[in-house]
Amino acid sequence: MKKIINQVETIVDEMCSGIVAAEQDLELIPKYRIILRKNIDANKVALISGGGSGHEPAHAGFVGKGMLTAAVCGDVFASPSTIQVYNGILKAQSKKGVLLIIKNYSGDCMNFDAAAEMAQDDDIKVESVYVNDDVAVEDSLYTVGRRGVAGTLLVHKIAGAAAEAGKDLAEVKAVAEKTIAGVKSIGVGLTSCTVPAKGSPTFEIADDEVEFGVGIHGEPGVARQKIRSSAALAEDMTGRIVKELGLASGDKAAVMVNGLGGTPLMELYIQYNDVAAILMKAGIEIRKSFVGNYMTSLDMAGFSVTILKLDDELESYLNAPADTPILKVVGK
Amino acid sequence: MSISTTDVKTVIGKLCQLIIDNEQYFCELDSAAGDGDFGMSLAKGFREVQKEMGDMDDSSTFKFLRGCGMIISEYCGGASGPIWGSAFNAAASSVKGKDALEIGDVAGMFESAVEAIQKRGGAKVGDKTLLDALIPATEALRTSADAGSDVRAAFEAAAAKAEAGYESTKSMIASRGRASYLGERSIGHPDAGATAISILFNALVKA
Repeated sequence: MKKIINQVETIVDEMCSGIVAAEQDLELIPKYRIILRKNIDANKVALISGGGSGHEPAHAGFVGKGMLTAAVCGDVFASPSTIQVYNGILKAQSKKGVLLIIKNYSGDCMNFDAAAEMAQDDDIKVESVYVNDDVAVEDSLYTVGRRGVAGTLLVHKIAGAAAEAGKDLAEVKAVAEKTIAGVKSIGVGLTSCTVPAKGSPTFEIADDEVEFGVGIHGEPGVARQKIRSSAALAEDMTGRIVKELGLASGDKAAVMVNGLGGTPLMELYIQYNDVAAILMKAGIEIRKSFVGNYMTSLDMAGFSVTILKLDDELESYLNAPADTPILKVVGK
Repeated sequence: MSISTTDVKTVIGKLCQLIIDNEQYFCELDSAAGDGDFGMSLAKGFREVQKEMGDMDDSSTFKFLRGCGMIISEYCGGASGPIWGSAFNAAASSVKGKDALEIGDVAGMFESAVEAIQKRGGAKVGDKTLLDALIPATEALRTSADAGSDVRAAFEAAAAKAEAGYESTKSMIASRGRASYLGERSIGHPDAGATAISILFNALVKA
């Protein structure tokens, strides 16, 4: 393992300190690893997300005006504790209530749900939404449902814009759920990630293989396959999402090609070029695009494709201004 | 022979050390089908329990175990915090007001813990979770208590059931947690949580 760290035990704390040192609009509550806006508007619905660390810039990189109020950081790939999330709710709460945006994993759901119960006991209005955009995992009797991956960022953006517009808690929750219903993703891993505490790759993979449908913690996906061209991967991945969403000619969409941490932007743009060509051929109009590292898996090489089906409401929130460390939208 | 708060503290002290000693091994077990953080998440909480044990309120078993539950909820990462934390808190509440515990009370503590874990995570027997070892072990404790067994014999029976339960998880398809994404590919690997329960019961019996 070759990483730029000081000691494994304090990587998350040091990262949190680094984020607030670099971002003057954010502050850190070190004991609970909560990163929050310095200026919280108590008259707008507060949005809290978070989860395991190792997915940076998610979620702390999206705290700021027009997106999240606070992000709660767990250990690498492990949910923050109930007590951490509960304190996040206490610190970020507003008169209009709090919306928790949770990626659908067992640990995250249990901790965020237990924290929401504690906050409700304190008479704080808390609602939750669960993002489950990964089409690689079948939602069946035998799973806990689909995983939340890069589509979560679009939920942050849209719900954040609705909160910023002064909508009440029920309205912000409704638009977040509409986004979740219309967003689907799938990823491909070229290499494993290496969790610093473990020091070796999470899974073995040959030089000419990819894990098709890989999860953002290095969990397995649909199948181990021989590597294909960017165009062939785009055809397969985009095709699955278009089918799931039932997209047809004339529909509008937002597209994200997200790097998993170890893939150059050059390759992400090559992939985007292929995805855009497929959608254009199908008559699907791309209204907004995101290419970059938004929801990573430490140092994993690979990428994911996310498509959100847009209507006028979602599109206007997606284009509304946002000012966060990673995502800045000027607005139009 | 009844069990005092001091006895409970001694057992929890051994439990902490066992979990810390097995940190790496539990992570390896979890890597096979899960995401490899189980040992680390668990050890983080129990290392804190070990550190704070000397300063904790031990005026009753309830207060001591509640203290453990709060630390575990706060420090254990991932799903382990709510699962193990709520188990300790429920076990504590079940012996509120009791100073000396009989084996029936101990069985009651484990029953309360199982109930709390099921409420939090929604799992049942056969879902390939730690409950597949913990539930048979708990049932063995209750059977022993009803038969009037002593504490050691009761825990020996429970440890045997926990081991059989962990073995049974090898052939199960995971339906909870991140291992569930593997579907049928999870067959062949034991559940890391059930394995831990078996190891901990058996090591405590031998200690």
